[in-house]
Amino acid sequence: MKFAKTANFWRHVILLLLALLFTLPLILMVFSSLKTPEELARNPYGLLPETWRWQNYPDALTAIPFGRYLLNSLVLCTGTVLGATLSCALVAWSLSHVNWRGRKTAFVLIIGTMLLPWQVTMVPRFVLIRELGLYDSLWAIILPAFLGEAFFIFLLRQFFMTLPREMLEAGRVDGLGEWGLFWRIGLPLSKPALATVAVFQFVYTWNDFSGPLLYLNDPEKFPLAYGLERFVSAYGDQTHLLLAASVMFTVPIIILFFLAQKTFIQGIATTGLKG
Amino acid sequence: MGRLNFRLTKASFDQNLRFLKRHVCRYAGNVVVSLMMKRRNLIGYLFASPWMVGFLLLIAWPFAASIYWSFCQYDLINPPEWVGTENYRRLMQEFREGRGFAVALQNTAYYALLSVPLSIVVGMGLAVALSWRVRGQAFYRTAFYLPAVIPIVATSVLWMWLLDPQDGMVNYLLSWLGVPGQNWLTQSRSAFSVAGLENAAGWAAGKNQLLLFGSKDALVLMSVWAVGNAMIIFLAAMGDVPESLYEAATIDGAGRFRKFWHVTLPLLSPVILFNLVMGLIKSVQTFTSIYILSEGTGQPGESLLVFSLHLFLSAFSDLEMGYASAMAWVTFVILVVCTLLLFRSSKHWVFYSSQ
Repeated sequence: MKFAKTANFWRHVILLLLALLFTLPLILMVFSSLKTPEELARNPYGLLPETWRWQNYPDALTAIPFGRYLLNSLVLCTGTVLGATLSCALVAWSLSHVNWRGRKTAFVLIIGTMLLPWQVTMVPRFVLIRELGLYDSLWAIILPAFLGEAFFIFLLRQFFMTLPREMLEAGRVDGLGEWGLFWRIGLPLSKPALATVAVFQFVYTWNDFSGPLLYLNDPEKFPLAYGLERFVSAYGDQTHLLLAASVMFTVPIIILFFLAQKTFIQGIATTGLKG
Repeated sequence: MGRLNFRLTKASFDQNLRFLKRHVCRYAGNVVVSLMMKRRNLIGYLFASPWMVGFLLLIAWPFAASIYWSFCQYDLINPPEWVGTENYRRLMQEFREGRGFAVALQNTAYYALLSVPLSIVVGMGLAVALSWRVRGQAFYRTAFYLPAVIPIVATSVLWMWLLDPQDGMVNYLLSWLGVPGQNWLTQSRSAFSVAGLENAAGWAAGKNQLLLFGSKDALVLMSVWAVGNAMIIFLAAMGDVPESLYEAATIDGAGRFRKFWHVTLPLLSPVILFNLVMGLIKSVQTFTSIYILSEGTGQPGESLLVFSLHLFLSAFSDLEMGYASAMAWVTFVILVVCTLLLFRSSKHWVFYSSQ
């Protein structure tokens, strides 16, 4: 009994130390973003700020066009989330509940494209976007989301396969067409899976740096992820503002993570991909 | 009974009618069924159309174009001009002379060889710690996983600050352990290289300062910090190990360590393979953090000029689309060969419980 207690104690010590090690950079980021620039230079190692300078946040907001970037990020996220959930649900439905010729081939191709590195198609995609006149437009990032993403199609297909067949048969008897089955029965029953796709796509677009780097040129159209990097190049020495801006950029993702923690963790545990 | 009868009697007439009814109906039924099948096809195509368009535009055409352009000189402004195997020969030459592509390959290999196994060891270690039955598991899990959800741009900014040679926190903590400050992001020499080992030997002989870690080691450190995804996969797999196996091992007198070695590890080996392959693919594709740490240059020296950055710079700063395409394909082939080798080797170390 006594042994079990001391063992438990040491386990807690180890876990706490590890937790501290992994969260310390984030804790430092938050507290240091509230220090005065003078204190950051004089004593960068103190945990709590001597004087709490909340002004860093408004200052960071004005130093970069934060509102503009935020708006662009939100437009991109809304567009890609809508596009990805809708298009991937449609395609996944055709792979699981419509028996069409060639669907097996399509499924194999979809799995195959998941393994293709983005670098291979990067150059032609860029040329295509330019030819379509979408270069330097937010559509360059939104539109491809409407054309399906292999990983999400796979994820939704796996989920649709688990829907009870009897329910769909009942719907058919009640006179629902293929679209009705999809829209009235399939989608409402698949909310958790659709939420997973939406959350993953949101996080992906919010964090995406290479898309804007490739396709956007006009600072008016930059999303936060890219704008923040520009900020680093321009204000590299103003650590206090840099940290404040990084915190503001990160907080929405952290909030989303805590709201949808189950979705995050199950999505990764069951499929293992993405991220 | 089941055929037409040409005698003109009532009975044969009835028989003929029955025959026609049965067969015509069956035939008509077949037609309807086949029509429905076609309607099915049509419905299927309609549902799958977003992917079909996407596949043609974003996968199939780019795939073909990229192969074709790899044999061309193409600067985005003038039309592609066929140059045969010129781009591939240039890659070969750079490879022999140890510059350009060869540097990119070396850097990528260094990063992959260090970060992938380290992530697996650390991810598994954390998963083991999380599988202990103590209070507050959920809290610890969140704490370990949190770095993996931080946007990579923020992670890069944060670590650039933490790894600052003058007043970065990492060097400060190292100084507690008696390790001198390292030039994390300003030194091109890496720890596990000939030059790095020479530095360590010189330090041991008291000739020079110990300046081991360089920019690629910083990158490895960042990737290990954000190890959450691999950890979650290991944790889920550990939950699937049947309790009875551990009980049997306990009865056989196995201790904690032997249980891990003989029960947990073999049952996790398929997941290790999975994480190895995914980690390999991910490490080769890593771009954002490297771009930000080196401000898009691959500096210090060419130490951060990994494959993905070299490809990006060749394409969009040198406007050499042909050369970039050829490089993408060569690297893709190398990646596929490495993955296949991993799968091949898995016969010897991966244990599938269904066997």
